[in-house]
Amino acid sequence: MLTAIPREQTRARRPDQSGHVERDGVQLFYEVYGSEGPAVFLLPTWSIIHSRHWKLQIPYLARHFRVLTFDGRGSGRSDRPASGYYEREFAADALAVMDATSTDIAVLVSLSLGARWALMLAADHPERVAGAVFIAPSAPLGKTLASQQPYLWDRELRTDKGWARYNRYYWLRDYQGFLEFFFAQMFPEPHSTKQIEDCVGWGLETTPEILIATEIEKEFDEQATRGLCMRVRCPVLVIHGADDLISSPSRGIALAEATRGELVLLEGSGHGPHVRDPVKVNLLLRDFMGRLGGK
Amino acid sequence: MSITETGTRARLPDSSGYAITPDGLRLYYEVFGRGDRTIVFLPANPISHSRLWKAQIHYLARHFRVVAYDGRGNGLSDFPDPATLWSNRFYAADCLSVMDVTATRAAILVGICTDGVFPSIQLAASHPERVLGIVAIAPGVPHLTPRHPNRAKAVAVYEQVLDSNEGWFKLNKHYMRGHYGDFLEFFFSQMFPEPHSTKQIEDAVAYGLDGSADVMVMDEHDPVASNKDQVEAICRQVRCPVLVIHGDRDECQVLERGLLTAELTGGRMVKLEGKGHIPNARHPVLVNKLIADFAGDRTSPQHANIRTHDKPRALLISSPIGLGHAWRDVAIARELRRQVPGLRVEWLAQPPVTTLLAQCGEIVHPASAELAPEARHVDAESGQHELHAFNMLRRMDEILCANFMVFHDVVSQEKFDLWIADEGWEIDHFLHENPELKTSPYVWMADFAGYLPMPSGGEREAFLTADYNAEVLEHIAQYPGLRDLSIFIGRPEDIVRKRFGPGLPTIPAWTKEHYQFSGYVLPFKPKDLANRKQLRRELDLDPDSRLIVATVGGSAVGVHLLHRIVEAFRILRSQVPEAELLLVCGPRIDPNDFPTVDGMQATGYVHDLFKTLACCDLAVVQGGLSTTMELVANRRPFIYIPLRNHFEQNFHVAHRLRRYGAPPPTQYDDATPERLAAQMRRRLGARVTYERVETDGARKAAKLIAPLIKTT
Repeated sequence: MLTAIPREQTRARRPDQSGHVERDGVQLFYEVYGSEGPAVFLLPTWSIIHSRHWKLQIPYLARHFRVLTFDGRGSGRSDRPASGYYEREFAADALAVMDATSTDIAVLVSLSLGARWALMLAADHPERVAGAVFIAPSAPLGKTLASQQPYLWDRELRTDKGWARYNRYYWLRDYQGFLEFFFAQMFPEPHSTKQIEDCVGWGLETTPEILIATEIEKEFDEQATRGLCMRVRCPVLVIHGADDLISSPSRGIALAEATRGELVLLEGSGHGPHVRDPVKVNLLLRDFMGRLGGK
Repeated sequence: MSITETGTRARLPDSSGYAITPDGLRLYYEVFGRGDRTIVFLPANPISHSRLWKAQIHYLARHFRVVAYDGRGNGLSDFPDPATLWSNRFYAADCLSVMDVTATRAAILVGICTDGVFPSIQLAASHPERVLGIVAIAPGVPHLTPRHPNRAKAVAVYEQVLDSNEGWFKLNKHYMRGHYGDFLEFFFSQMFPEPHSTKQIEDAVAYGLDGSADVMVMDEHDPVASNKDQVEAICRQVRCPVLVIHGDRDECQVLERGLLTAELTGGRMVKLEGKGHIPNARHPVLVNKLIADFAGDRTSPQHANIRTHDKPRALLISSPIGLGHAWRDVAIARELRRQVPGLRVEWLAQPPVTTLLAQCGEIVHPASAELAPEARHVDAESGQHELHAFNMLRRMDEILCANFMVFHDVVSQEKFDLWIADEGWEIDHFLHENPELKTSPYVWMADFAGYLPMPSGGEREAFLTADYNAEVLEHIAQYPGLRDLSIFIGRPEDIVRKRFGPGLPTIPAWTKEHYQFSGYVLPFKPKDLANRKQLRRELDLDPDSRLIVATVGGSAVGVHLLHRIVEAFRILRSQVPEAELLLVCGPRIDPNDFPTVDGMQATGYVHDLFKTLACCDLAVVQGGLSTTMELVANRRPFIYIPLRNHFEQNFHVAHRLRRYGAPPPTQYDDATPERLAAQMRRRLGARVTYERVETDGARKAAKLIAPLIKTT
């Protein structure tokens, strides 16, 4: 059991530039690595973790590209407003970070929920998005996993078993218990202790109240998602673990179809392949950049 | 309309046809091979046609889809009416027509000189979505510099009828009309200044004659850009990668144009020394590799130099944490070179190991500079005489991944005949996770097997270490051939008698099954260091003093122990006035940080520290394997104080030392200055009864490795 947040471990590479950008009164912490080549923008995901989850991508990508990250509102070194966690807020935050770092155009890389703001950016700001990589996308296309279906998030439940922990009352009751459950689901691969610990540690840096706010303010539905997908014109790569226990692989498959993108299904991988199988994902990203004409 | 065949074609097109230009001309194209990426070769028309690229197509079509076409006015394409006006705007438009008809959405454009390069730059500016990259050979982007000085005078009178047309004055509208063949012969002899270029010149002249002088001298109108500012503006719009290849003996386009083209487009420049205007014909292998690397995105800018090694090459990845490691790797490398004549060993290593390697004259691969530093991490993870080695490794995941990627870049760009990783954890882990990335024989070396939990870590650490061990065991079981060879630096008896974890095999049983044993590897022969008086004189040390040497390895973690040793020495000195202390602080601790004490001297990094240790009367050290084993080999008394929570020093090393008859470790918590002083006094100059250390470890290790290196 974790009792304290571990100190940050030594980074393989430190940012070349970092700072805060303020949008609508919310301070967002960003980092820029490298200065050469086209920009890769590693987007925030659900505020349960912050930008350090890209730590295995940054050092490699920054040797070939200019890499941007920022902590999503509600996480890391960004502000934690009580409300304002609509998908469109994250999209606008991302644009603000691009503006603040003089990034005209970038390839977007998103994880899970980050797919939503990535889609908004690609559809609504095509001139600023050279390509989009969706890792384990969680947008309402395809199926919800059967294991998640029976439980209502917004109702007190009589059980704390399994996905019943994905529940606002449970979060308030036993936040760490939820984090440990959730990230164990995220990494079903054997020998993932370090990955789970890292994520639980990052999760403890925010609060259940913030996560509840993010859940209440989810706006996307299937129709809106399909509408955005139709308007995506840039090259798309979807990477999805075939054993993803959080976002069904059918979601990635459907997203690739709807965006006419390329699909890579990783056998035996869960919801965080970029963390658990970093070399594979790094090479997929580099290859995708290369095919776009990246250096 | 014809093409002169200058030999048997190496490869015929998979399809061919005609594109129709907006102004109604037919352009002949050919498509070769298949692949995700397309390379389009732009013609240098009208002076040549697509066969200009004959040395490229066969090779590149094995890796890419290749499109080549004849430009208007040569080859099998239509010739424009010479009575009309020529426009350079045709070039880019014609390329698009061919890309459209061949369903080439986007491509890497490869061209030469003005007619082949400038259109690709225009396209990258106007249609960025169609251009993935540009290879600009001998680029003739106009107006960037004055024309080549060799023809300045001739160009000035190009339109005039001259009395005589010698040299560059053959470049003359009227002379070319009447003596096109002679012009071509002169021109291409200039283009190939390299000796032994007869075939290339003949071919080029033949391709020129497939065209027509009348087209060649057509009057032009409607230029794409009429001054330098306009040209620069177009170049600056290029966002795709650009590779400029330019010979420094180019008699057509001055090298300066290539440099400026690279600069304006943000491209990479490869200067070819001693090479002329058409290196793709004269130096096809070099150019093919450059194009393939570029199109496959396989070369990073740092390593543009192309070298061919006919001698075998090994890449040695040495864990940077212990300097003793590096010495044993040097010993093995030296022995390997003895056993494999011509072998070149290059090192992927980082400070402080690189310092040692440089002094040994070893070759440190330049990509080593790109490695994320591990030493900084070790320091950050250290406490007071404490380094939790398992946590330290575990918390290094980011650095390990980053450094594997550097390794992967190196071996994808350069061919090595063998990879050797001495406890290069990232190499072994990620190769097993990504076995398809293994492309050379691979040797793993280690001096211990099994992560072991420290008692302080409780159940959780026991679970974690077992899980890590299980992962290694599963890796090996799943890909038993991935390591072509695993060498245990030591003997089977050196293996601790423990289990990898609950339900897992015992460490000795599994290790004996999966490793070969080299015995311990010493970087010296003990008999060469046996005359201690002479050694002291050589090292400028007093031959008659009672010398204590204290050393704590290459990291900063030993600083607390050194301070404690200094305090103990103060006490000892009051009892044994002839005792002297040499404090070896290593590369990361400042010797000036210690108080001045009579009889004590503090120093920084000492290159061949084993010599100093070989002539001491007592050593006080940490529990690192190399230092302690070298003391055993040289039969010196020593006190060793393992780092707290360092599983390797506390279990693996202590077990091995016990086997050699060394005294048990001293725990840091027990080593108060008073107790340490008493222990130092007892051990100073004491007789030892160690078992002999084998002296042929390096030779044995090399003998195991050598057969894996294919020599031709």
